[in-house]
Amino acid sequence: MDYLRVTSEPDLAEALSVDGAVPLAGGTDLLVKVRAGVARPGLLVDVSRVESLRGLSRSQDGLSIGAALPLADLLGDAAVRDAYPLLATVLRSLGSTQIRSRATLGGNLANASPAADGALALLAYDARLTLASRAGSRALPLREFFRGPGRTALARGEYVHSITLPAPDANQAFFFHKVGRRRALTIAIASVAGLLSLEDGVIVDARIAAGSVAPTPLRLAAVEDALRGCRLDAALARAAGDSASREVSPITDVRASADYRRDVTGELVARFLSTALRASS
Amino acid sequence: MRIRLRVNGREREVEVAAGDRLLDVLRDGLHLTGTKEGCGEGECGACTVLVDGRPANSCLVLAAQMDGCDILTIEGLAEAGRLHPIQEAFVEAGAVQCGFCTPGFVMSAHALLAATPNPSDEQILEALEGNVCRCTGYAKILSAVRRAAAQLGTRDPSREAA
Repeated sequence: MDYLRVTSEPDLAEALSVDGAVPLAGGTDLLVKVRAGVARPGLLVDVSRVESLRGLSRSQDGLSIGAALPLADLLGDAAVRDAYPLLATVLRSLGSTQIRSRATLGGNLANASPAADGALALLAYDARLTLASRAGSRALPLREFFRGPGRTALARGEYVHSITLPAPDANQAFFFHKVGRRRALTIAIASVAGLLSLEDGVIVDARIAAGSVAPTPLRLAAVEDALRGCRLDAALARAAGDSASREVSPITDVRASADYRRDVTGELVARFLSTALRASS
Repeated sequence: MRIRLRVNGREREVEVAAGDRLLDVLRDGLHLTGTKEGCGEGECGACTVLVDGRPANSCLVLAAQMDGCDILTIEGLAEAGRLHPIQEAFVEAGAVQCGFCTPGFVMSAHALLAATPNPSDEQILEALEGNVCRCTGYAKILSAVRRAAAQLGTRDPSREAA
């Protein structure tokens, strides 16, 4: 295994065009995999000093986050925390203080764990990705990025350049709950992140993302569709929970059984809606 | 490859292999064995050091990435043979049992108190969430950090380097 530090995107794109080259940002996932022999990159291309991948820029279209910006920097920005409270809440639960010093959103997404916490908030916000390579760049909705555990839409030689969130909506209620064995440093048994827009008690928009309950982090599109236009009440919250249990496809593993994960997902979705109901009335 | 880094205020130049971790360089290369390897996967925090002032698991940091960085380890805290107030607070509070996790806890506490001199209990717990003690519990550790915060709060702030 070799190591190469690059400081510009042209150099990065060139380095990644070689077989076996893998981008290295914070390394908090990748280095564990390398040491366990699960990942065997021929070349680690260090992107942590490519300034154009560490930016944070706001425009009327929203917020663009450099893929290699450490989470601690993102969380350290008060304007980001205020505008995107779900993102801040989710990221504060990701890993530990030590992990957040170095981990990045680009890494969290490219690692493509079904349990990726960061992905849930980004999915709920309808994030769009900019992917780049020697051939140029392209935009891709995050929903189309995950292809399976550890598998993404990244083509060979391509890297995540930035993540763009739409302009914030101050009227959205948000929810995040991760069920695990402990609060810190836990890999989720199941987790749910949600955003809800209500007008006069009627659901205008519901976005619900779930983790650790399918081959990839996913949006519960059927639940969301069924909620849109409905008056939020306790019965609706329970029904949505039941249908969330049906929409996910968890597996049984060392952390929990598939049945338990279905139940937990349903409970979390119901809790999201009943919390929003209480807050609105 | 050769990298240059600053460790506990001293410029160092070391030869590293691509797969070497910061932890390996500190322990095996520089013989700074106060930093411990627990899990080797970033779960236990025993290997916590400060990289450019931020706490990091040195088992998850590639040494090659540290060229030009500033590292603070547990060995860098005591001055002129006197323990750092955070270390003293751990001793006085009895926040040490086998001691293996202690350097990591002290470094996490150090990062916290540099940024937040008067932390709430919740802030202390959040700052220590990446450190695990397997001997006993966290009550005495929490009380040690409270004690250190109080102690440091009465000191001349210019003495407390980030």
